[in-house]
Amino acid sequence: MLIRITTLLVSVFISLSLQSQCTLQYAGKITDGDTKEILKGAVVTLKDVGVKALTDSNGNFMIKGLCAGHYDVIISHVGCQPLLTHIHINDDYEKWYELPHAVNQLEAVKVMSHNINVVNPTEIKGAQLDALKGLSLGETIKNIPGVSLLQTGTNIYKPAIHGLHSSRVLIINNGIRQEGQQWGNEHAPEIDANLASRISVIKGAGTIRYGGDAIGGVVLVEPKLLRLVPGIGGEVNVAAFSNNRQLSIAGILDGNLTKNNAISWRLQGTIKKGGNSKTPQYWLDNSGLEEYNFSAAVGYKKTNWSSELFYSQFNTKLGIFSGAHIGNLTDLMTAINSTTPPDYITNVGFTYRIDRPYQKVQHHLLKSKTLLSTGAIGRINVTASFQYNNRLEYDKKRFQSSEDVPQLDLSIATAGLDIIWDYFGHKKMKGTVGLVGSFQDNQYSRRLFIPNYQSVNGGGFITNKWTISKWAIEYGMRYDYRKIFNTTDNAGNRFSSGIYSSLSGSLGAAYVINSTTKLSLNASTAWRSPNVNELYSDGLHHGAARIEKGNANLQPERANTFLSELNINAEKWTIETGAYFKYIKNFIFLQPSYPPQLTIRGAFPAFIFSQTNAALYGFDVSLGYNVSHHLQVNTKTSILRAMNKRTDEWLIQMPADRYQGEVTYTFNNRTLFKETYMRLTAQAVNQQKRIPKTGPIEISRPDGSIYYAADYAPPPQAYFLLGAEVGTTLSLHRKDYSIIISASNLLNHVYRDYMNAFRYYADEMGRYIAIRIKVPFAVNNNPKNKNK
Amino acid sequence: MKKSFSKFALALLMVGTLLSGCEKDAEEPNEEELITTVRLTFTEVGGAGTVSTFTFKDLDGEGGAAPSVFNDIVLAPSKSYNMSIALLNESVSPVEDITTEVSNEGNDHQIYYVTSGANVTISNLNNDAAGLPLGLTSTWTTGTASTGNVTITLKHKPGVKAAGDAITKGDTDIQLAWPTRVQ
Repeated sequence: MLIRITTLLVSVFISLSLQSQCTLQYAGKITDGDTKEILKGAVVTLKDVGVKALTDSNGNFMIKGLCAGHYDVIISHVGCQPLLTHIHINDDYEKWYELPHAVNQLEAVKVMSHNINVVNPTEIKGAQLDALKGLSLGETIKNIPGVSLLQTGTNIYKPAIHGLHSSRVLIINNGIRQEGQQWGNEHAPEIDANLASRISVIKGAGTIRYGGDAIGGVVLVEPKLLRLVPGIGGEVNVAAFSNNRQLSIAGILDGNLTKNNAISWRLQGTIKKGGNSKTPQYWLDNSGLEEYNFSAAVGYKKTNWSSELFYSQFNTKLGIFSGAHIGNLTDLMTAINSTTPPDYITNVGFTYRIDRPYQKVQHHLLKSKTLLSTGAIGRINVTASFQYNNRLEYDKKRFQSSEDVPQLDLSIATAGLDIIWDYFGHKKMKGTVGLVGSFQDNQYSRRLFIPNYQSVNGGGFITNKWTISKWAIEYGMRYDYRKIFNTTDNAGNRFSSGIYSSLSGSLGAAYVINSTTKLSLNASTAWRSPNVNELYSDGLHHGAARIEKGNANLQPERANTFLSELNINAEKWTIETGAYFKYIKNFIFLQPSYPPQLTIRGAFPAFIFSQTNAALYGFDVSLGYNVSHHLQVNTKTSILRAMNKRTDEWLIQMPADRYQGEVTYTFNNRTLFKETYMRLTAQAVNQQKRIPKTGPIEISRPDGSIYYAADYAPPPQAYFLLGAEVGTTLSLHRKDYSIIISASNLLNHVYRDYMNAFRYYADEMGRYIAIRIKVPFAVNNNPKNKNK
Repeated sequence: MKKSFSKFALALLMVGTLLSGCEKDAEEPNEEELITTVRLTFTEVGGAGTVSTFTFKDLDGEGGAAPSVFNDIVLAPSKSYNMSIALLNESVSPVEDITTEVSNEGNDHQIYYVTSGANVTISNLNNDAAGLPLGLTSTWTTGTASTGNVTITLKHKPGVKAAGDAITKGDTDIQLAWPTRVQ
């Protein structure tokens, strides 16, 4: 590997007189080239003589007793690229080195490895991410404690954090706030999970930088960084699934053109196609999916600035299980009362064909990001972005002769500009200050569900973090302004405009109790303005068999959250626990309203968006124990309680208690096979018994008596699933090929999940086996050939 | 900084071009066959040819405003009527007659009549091309004076309609529990 020393800033050369004895000293200071942070524990090695020195807490090192002469020096530190240099000394020599950061070249500064984190994001990356390739974004993060999925059938997955989802969870895709039709329960994030090299979930606190409205939390999707080393390389990920015969092929190709100007680029694409899924007993008619995505990025890096241009396109077509397409309440009750869908639906076999009803979604993201160094004290990030999202929903055709047009056609365009300054000049304090703004235009054609509108969003924030010995304190404040205007329907009706603005803030502290134990406490307050669907929607929600009415008088929600985390990272034990309490004032929810509303399809229960105060509390625990060098046991627990404080009833549609366990056996590395492991996983999900006692839905008991409930059917039974996974890394010609075979729902258990909107109609998927292969390749890795 | 603004402008331009590529036609086909109106026309058999009409009308479809018209069916006792049903979309101009489409694709559709309380017998449903009941026309025979409902249900069952189908089969396009008085 060729290392350049172009990042040297300070060079002090002290040459006094020639000495011939071996009493010379070589001293210096080592800092992170990107963050300017002092690097403690960096290793300075004089190759020829085998002498090593470590930097102290001020980043200083010293090697004494050297003879005059030439030395090859290697400087290395965790998280940085090693630096190779050559020194010639004939006197005491002192030099300041900056190590290029390995993982953060064009990215914003996030969390440094030797820092005390106040906010502890849960990350999925590396081998863990490899084992989840080919899945949707939601499925990829579902095993993080505190994260659950809001599901619509077998191919629409929305992440929920502590039971909150949709517009309460921010998804930051490649640094840009995802602006799709996120308000809809059956609108999955329009993001290619294959582009991510790291997915992080921030629960509760520490989200000020990303938005004031992240009441549930933030999901950060970060792509692989642009290539730093000259040459061209890439990787192909293939994932094949047995159940729906899905094949997903994802490729990435990146290169770095020249060694001095550091122009780098990356191309990435995904093709995914799956057919009907199968429950243990029957096929799910029309549950196929297709996805075609690609992205391109180019970056240019100089000493004091760097710039990156990125474009991505996401295209998907998602079949909707035909047995879940109901005409009215009678059909719904018929579906609920029969344990399996009718014969004429289950009689279908396997096909890749996607018929109506289906969803077709396209998302474009164009972004440019420029980093400007402001000397040793900080860096400015200027990010401009443009997103366009188009969602088409095709219902079943009423007549064969009907036009092949969608019933719902929504498009939303968003332009945004963020100017953010990261500063780290002070020894103990670093922080970020920023201004963000965006303009949004939403248009619909055909059926009205949400009106046309435009909106302007603006905000400013500051976050600071102080690290003082064993303490770290982080605080942030943010002001956001949102205006919704030009709200109209296509019939010429005009709706009221809305202006919302308020402050959010957070305060957190972490204390390192000892080398293995850390305690952190966070308090935050955030607010979210009502969404357009909550304000103005008016119509039948076919999937949910209810009439939903917006309420133009809604006030913003205010969420106050307390989060405490205890992390223990000992030799045998890894313990991560988080307990939270969240009080949401003016929590927006669908309130049942009497009486049912008459339509041509019969009477439907009507719900109006209303507000209450809600309290959500619970804990997430992740426990790991290394029984031996080979054997590891892990468990994860997610417990949530959610109350409507005005009525003192449980909130509807909250995830049930969930427990996961896994046992992993890792084999010794062989020449050919490395990191070989076998894993057995188990998951237990309780029945959700904490639901509202009554509601507007009239349900007849078998004996003919009638009662009123909040839901059409009681939550499904508890379930227990087993899974298995084996994986290895094959080392051939200095390349690591990874192969992972996994089986989910190993016992082909029949179950339904409360968080799946299709629980009324069909069982969840049966057993499926997935094979994942990762093939890295290098087109040209010899820098000498590229260096002209 | 200036650089990224110019880049942003370029970005907008590029995406603008993309968008105009995807722009929809201004003139769109009707979103879907919205059925706003069900009209029942009764012609007395052998009588003076008296014609009575009873209507359900909900111009803005499901949700929104409540149905504007929902007449009770009122029939004389001990008579026989030929009934024909008309399905209309009155939200568009000119009004769209959906009855023809149901008739043309009769093998995907079926209308069911279920009486409760009202002393009415409904028979003689017309058939589709395959000889299976369709129900766009029927004969209603009244008995003694009574009050109740006739539930009229239009089912959509593309490709699966068969003899002796239960009312639960398929998707429901219309379900109206029509108040009915024989007096």
